[in-house]
Amino acid sequence: MAELDSTQPVPERGVAVRDLTLAYGDTVVQQDLSFHVQPASIFVIMGVSGCGKSTLLRHMIDLEQAEQGDVVFDGHRLWTDDSAERAALQRRIGVLFQSTALWSSMSVGENVGLPLQLHTRLSAAEIRDQVAFKLALVGLAGQESRMPSELSGGMQKRAGLARAIALDPDYLFLDEPSAGLDPITSQRLDSLIMNLRDALQLSVIAVTHELPSIFTIADDSIYLDNESRRAIAHGDPRTLAEHAEHARVRAFLNRQPIVADDGPS
Amino acid sequence: MPQPASPISTLYRIEARPDGVALVLAGDWGASAQLPTTQRIVAEVLGARTHDAAPVVIDGTELASAHPRVAAVVYGVNEQLRMRSVEVRYEDLPDSVHALVTLARPAQPEEGRRDRAHWLNRLGKRGGRRVASVADTAELIGNAFAATPKLAVGKAQARWVDFMALIRETGAASLPVVTVVNLLIGAVLGFVGAVQLATFGAGLYLADLVGIAVAREMAAIMTAFIMAGRIGATFAAHLATMEANEEIDALRMIGVSPFEFLVLPRLTALTLMMPLLFLYAAALGIGGGMIVADVVLNTSPASFLGRLQDAVAMRHFVIGFIKAVCFGVLIALASCYLGMRAGRNAAEVGRAATRTVVVSIIGIIVIDAIFALCTNALGV
Repeated sequence: MAELDSTQPVPERGVAVRDLTLAYGDTVVQQDLSFHVQPASIFVIMGVSGCGKSTLLRHMIDLEQAEQGDVVFDGHRLWTDDSAERAALQRRIGVLFQSTALWSSMSVGENVGLPLQLHTRLSAAEIRDQVAFKLALVGLAGQESRMPSELSGGMQKRAGLARAIALDPDYLFLDEPSAGLDPITSQRLDSLIMNLRDALQLSVIAVTHELPSIFTIADDSIYLDNESRRAIAHGDPRTLAEHAEHARVRAFLNRQPIVADDGPS
Repeated sequence: MPQPASPISTLYRIEARPDGVALVLAGDWGASAQLPTTQRIVAEVLGARTHDAAPVVIDGTELASAHPRVAAVVYGVNEQLRMRSVEVRYEDLPDSVHALVTLARPAQPEEGRRDRAHWLNRLGKRGGRRVASVADTAELIGNAFAATPKLAVGKAQARWVDFMALIRETGAASLPVVTVVNLLIGAVLGFVGAVQLATFGAGLYLADLVGIAVAREMAAIMTAFIMAGRIGATFAAHLATMEANEEIDALRMIGVSPFEFLVLPRLTALTLMMPLLFLYAAALGIGGGMIVADVVLNTSPASFLGRLQDAVAMRHFVIGFIKAVCFGVLIALASCYLGMRAGRNAAEVGRAATRTVVVSIIGIIVIDAIFALCTNALGV
């Protein structure tokens, strides 16, 4: 079970989210979120459109500051006043954005190489070796010189993934990794994510509402409810599909119409 | 005195073994700021080989950590040796490194990719694209002439609310910057002229200099430059973004002409507002000169304006007015053309805006030169 009681001590390994409340102005998006992502596992944040999945992810990668609560990576608080510690932590985080966010004026090789150029002291030749390997890992070997606009949607996702793992991060965040992809490409991407988790021992946090992906990749999950604005289910999605306390969670995971319910049933 | 070992040399060594050459990896690759390159290792391995048939062993026994960087170099060395038909064997590689190297898939020969065409062929294609671009420009101008009457009778596929917003954006919203620039240009002309004319005791003729220069040239040109930067770049960036987001394709799909819906309102708004802004700019430029005449030469505003009436004929304003209309058409067509033909990515949006400003400024200068030649030939 991923649920983390806020009174419990923060685990030393993995990512711990404690009492997090997300809000834009007076609008509360989600409140009192507490969960723990185990090291070298894939944790899925799921829920219907507009429930705040991507907002939670943006807070966990420090693109937004939470109203209340904390995110702790391997015992290190994300929102610390020490800017050097904060920057060092950010370098251990890789992100694949929903739109891939590849820099369109740079080639694929330059996109993957830029983080290495900025954050390591490796020479150009050493960076070339690392870039070639990262692209080979995602099945894009030899595509360094192509521009992002010359790639298909699936290839762009994989190039984005190569950029996300360029600095050998410990935590990989994926925002809707398989959105807009055909089932075969989506399945290949799922396999790739699981292989990368195993090979690089990554803690992967993925935001998605694609059921086949959820059931394929998730070791653990959380369901964000857009009515109560809280997480109403934690655990293995395969178990939740059958035994979740809330009917809305079961309806979501079984692709059934959501019936009005005011609580567990 | 012995030289200290380079940090890279502690990370690997080449070892001759009875069964061939071994690349022995050692130390902590994650902690090292520098790494050996694949190329360097491969060159050393190939140099140390004595039997062509013997495999190369990559030995990970002495590695202090299984950092992913090790896997990158192992993969690179393996790939380069494989291309040279050299067999590679792994020995005691850490499991995670082995898993990563296995996961990496080498480049496959691309199918369906055409060979690079002959240079003459490419030159011809490039020329063809230039001709097509000239034809596109001609089509755009032709469309402008054909569609303007439709807008005049309210039959164009354009929204009145968009048109009014464009009138406000190109007209009223441009007033502050047009005011500052033209007032100062008039004042600068006044200062330069006042110093020179005062030397010859001809300070009274400052009204002639400022009046003719502003009415005939400066007001129209400076306003056009401002509009190229302010409005032309905005139009181009907006249309390029719409193109990138497939909004223009969506218009086509519902049977709306992108020209009538997007280009025509912009063209009309800018063509209508440019001459009005010119008149405003000319008045401010002359005002700037008048202030300088008063301050530097003690010429009263009444004397300045009296002299201006005698010296600056209406034809100078008419020429400036016509130029302003031409500049407006040029900026609108250039920005819409370049915006709608931008590629479908973020970089192209910026490129379209920049190209619009450059093309507009060059076009403004060229049109101005043509006007100078024509008016000179006609004696006006």
